[in-house]
Amino acid sequence: MKDIEKQLPLILIDNVDFTYPNGTKALRNINLKIDNKELIGIMGKNGAGKTTLIRTLNGLIRPTNGAIYLYGENIASKSIATLSKKVGVIFQNPLHQLFSNSVKDEIEFSLKSFEFTKEEIQNKTNEILKEFNLEKYRNRSPLNLSGGEAKKLALASIICRDPDIIVFDEPTLGQDGREIEFLINLIKNKRKKGKTIIIVTHNIEFANEHIPRTILMADGLILADGPTEKVLGNQILVEKASLILPQTHQLNLALKKSGIQCPNDLFSKDKLINFIRDFIKNKTSEIVEGND
Amino acid sequence: MSLEFLNAFKFMKKDSFIHNLDPRAKLIFALIYSISALLFTEIIPLILIFLSLIPLILAGKLIKQWLKSIQGLSYLILIIIIMNTFFLSLSFAISMIIRICIMVSAFSIFFLTSDPNDLALSLISMKFPYEFAFSLSLAFRFIPTIATEAQNIIDAQQSRGYEMQKSGLINQIKNLFPLLIPLIICSIKRAFNVAEALESRAFGSKKERTYYYTIKYSFKDWIFTLYLLSFLIISIIVRINFAIMPDWLSWELIV
Amino acid sequence: MTLIEYKNFYYRYKGNEEYALNNINLKIEDNKFILLCGETGSGKTTLIRCMNGLIPQFYSGFYRGSVEVAGKDTTITAIADLSTEVGIVFQNPENQLVAMNVEHEIAFGLENLGIESGEISKKIKEVTKITEIEHLLNKAPFELSGGEQQRVAIASILVLEPKIIVLDEPTALLDPYMAKKIIELLKEIQIEKQITILISEHRLDLILPYADELILMKDGNLIEHDNSNKIINGINFQTLRLNKPVIYSIFNQLKEEKLFNQYIPASISKVINYLKGL
Repeated sequence: MKDIEKQLPLILIDNVDFTYPNGTKALRNINLKIDNKELIGIMGKNGAGKTTLIRTLNGLIRPTNGAIYLYGENIASKSIATLSKKVGVIFQNPLHQLFSNSVKDEIEFSLKSFEFTKEEIQNKTNEILKEFNLEKYRNRSPLNLSGGEAKKLALASIICRDPDIIVFDEPTLGQDGREIEFLINLIKNKRKKGKTIIIVTHNIEFANEHIPRTILMADGLILADGPTEKVLGNQILVEKASLILPQTHQLNLALKKSGIQCPNDLFSKDKLINFIRDFIKNKTSEIVEGND
Repeated sequence: MSLEFLNAFKFMKKDSFIHNLDPRAKLIFALIYSISALLFTEIIPLILIFLSLIPLILAGKLIKQWLKSIQGLSYLILIIIIMNTFFLSLSFAISMIIRICIMVSAFSIFFLTSDPNDLALSLISMKFPYEFAFSLSLAFRFIPTIATEAQNIIDAQQSRGYEMQKSGLINQIKNLFPLLIPLIICSIKRAFNVAEALESRAFGSKKERTYYYTIKYSFKDWIFTLYLLSFLIISIIVRINFAIMPDWLSWELIV
Repeated sequence: MTLIEYKNFYYRYKGNEEYALNNINLKIEDNKFILLCGETGSGKTTLIRCMNGLIPQFYSGFYRGSVEVAGKDTTITAIADLSTEVGIVFQNPENQLVAMNVEHEIAFGLENLGIESGEISKKIKEVTKITEIEHLLNKAPFELSGGEQQRVAIASILVLEPKIIVLDEPTALLDPYMAKKIIELLKEIQIEKQITILISEHRLDLILPYADELILMKDGNLIEHDNSNKIINGINFQTLRLNKPVIYSIFNQLKEEKLFNQYIPASISKVINYLKGL
């Protein structure tokens, strides 16, 4: 029995449909397997069903057809509160959840539904405030934080529950370079600790650089599911999902069109740097040779 | 009582006789029907008034939504029957129920068929101050937006382990804070955003305002208003002369 | 021709101890496509609010110095009067659409200015053509997609014929394809109408190919304002923690390796031109 359990994916979405009461088919025939410790991106047009899909993972939305399995168990009978202990979903707008008197209270609110002792809650709060560099705002009202700090607090209030599966909804929205760096480090740390991470994003460059597996969605359907470099390189699907090619792929395409000889798979920054570096070196050495 | 009940008052664009009437005529309709309902406590006249609503509901193609509004009232109806049966008569209870149904239906028809913007326009043509009429249409315009926001807030808080159902009155009130505070804050922020967008488009300019869209009372509206006025006059006459009205009009349920 | 001029301008929001804008000296000229960038909290939105008088008239606070728009002082000229010089499109189109349908939305600003109905009709036709929303005139705001909403917001500002349109993170809520289309539309408008477009954005890769000038901000200070080539190759751009495009990273590194010593290319086509020219 235990061996079979080990082979089961962590999350299994089996033939799921979801239709809103007004008739909109938000999810159609979704089949998805997510294994432990994966890092996955979900991309697509606005209205493609991305946010609907992540809402099914913690029970906010129940499928109208099909089933979802977590750790091999059907989640249909589990409450949102129970599921949210394992699946932490961080939504886009921090203002949709901040309401406490202080940053510390905000974290403690999230920890309340677990059966921790007062001491454990205090310890966990201190830890998470340190981890997110929010210690200096401990007693400040969450509504007095800047946009970036508020977003971190919203993150912290889900991460403090230490969910096994972390789901981000547009985490790079409105973020500058240092905030995205913080996010990248957070994701790296959590992966090291064995967490599974799912990111809904529009940020193609971010996905191309940091996310190994991408799912493309349009009109409630999954168009593609595979290694990011490949999925984002398929121009037809990328257009259907209302995205654009990452700059690396655009450059690769442009190089080919311009007649410059280059390998077919220059899809990463490093490969491109190496190629261009060699290209420049060759061309300048040609000139030097020519002058001789 | 779910939020579904509110759908019974949400405007939906349709092409029907009722939809095409001026919103002022419909407001007069809702008011006159409510007044007529308040004039009577006897069951039969109230039933007659109620029945006269049905052709209007049909003309407006509103059956589904109207039934939803009555459905939403079902709890209230139950409470009234229970309370009234203990304290007064069942007959009185039924009259009250029909009265409420009439008033709710009349206003429901008004809200379902009146584009809030048309209402604002008609208020303006009645020389109401522009800012007032505009605030009204803004409020309506943002209702669906705020409803979506409320749902998003519920989702965000539930994802943190927040539980909607709590026991005990004090707990239930405390439990509203995580929903109400974000909603209020977001609404205030939204109000600021809308205000600055309006300012940036010359709202409040000292120049005399032009009105690109206008709304006028048409022939149909006058006929309808005439019908409403006759309806009111007949109701008043019947009420005053109730003693000399035929017996079946004052039939009562003996309980 | 200078459209907007900041002279030694300081601004502090009421209730804040720190200044949101420190000693801003800035001239914005006509017929330019300008990118405003900086880390979050650097004062970009505050700077934008000064451009049509929202600061200091709508937002309470303390200021020093002056901001002039087409020669008019923004502290005393009514915001309504400045709206024909500077148009601002804010981040969330949802909160800017106030009318019952698209046609009325576009007419709104003109109604406020007392423009006569026939004239309004003409202007609506013109503006909906450029923004390609003629087929949406009868739709209500909630029936529109994000990209369509943003187009309507832009049209409703463009119809007031300002000399500069300022946009605060216009693509934030849009998917990449829509975002690209909106930026292309804005560039078209800039060229056709010969007005200035100023965009505050984090998604640099989308805008850099089109920008004539860049303004860099940090901690409420304006640290650099110049044409885009100079700025992209400067030390400020390099050190600011912005979301720099991949081609920037590639050529910046090659520059550091001394293999490349020209202007770092801002677009794919410039990269190809460079490589072909070798």
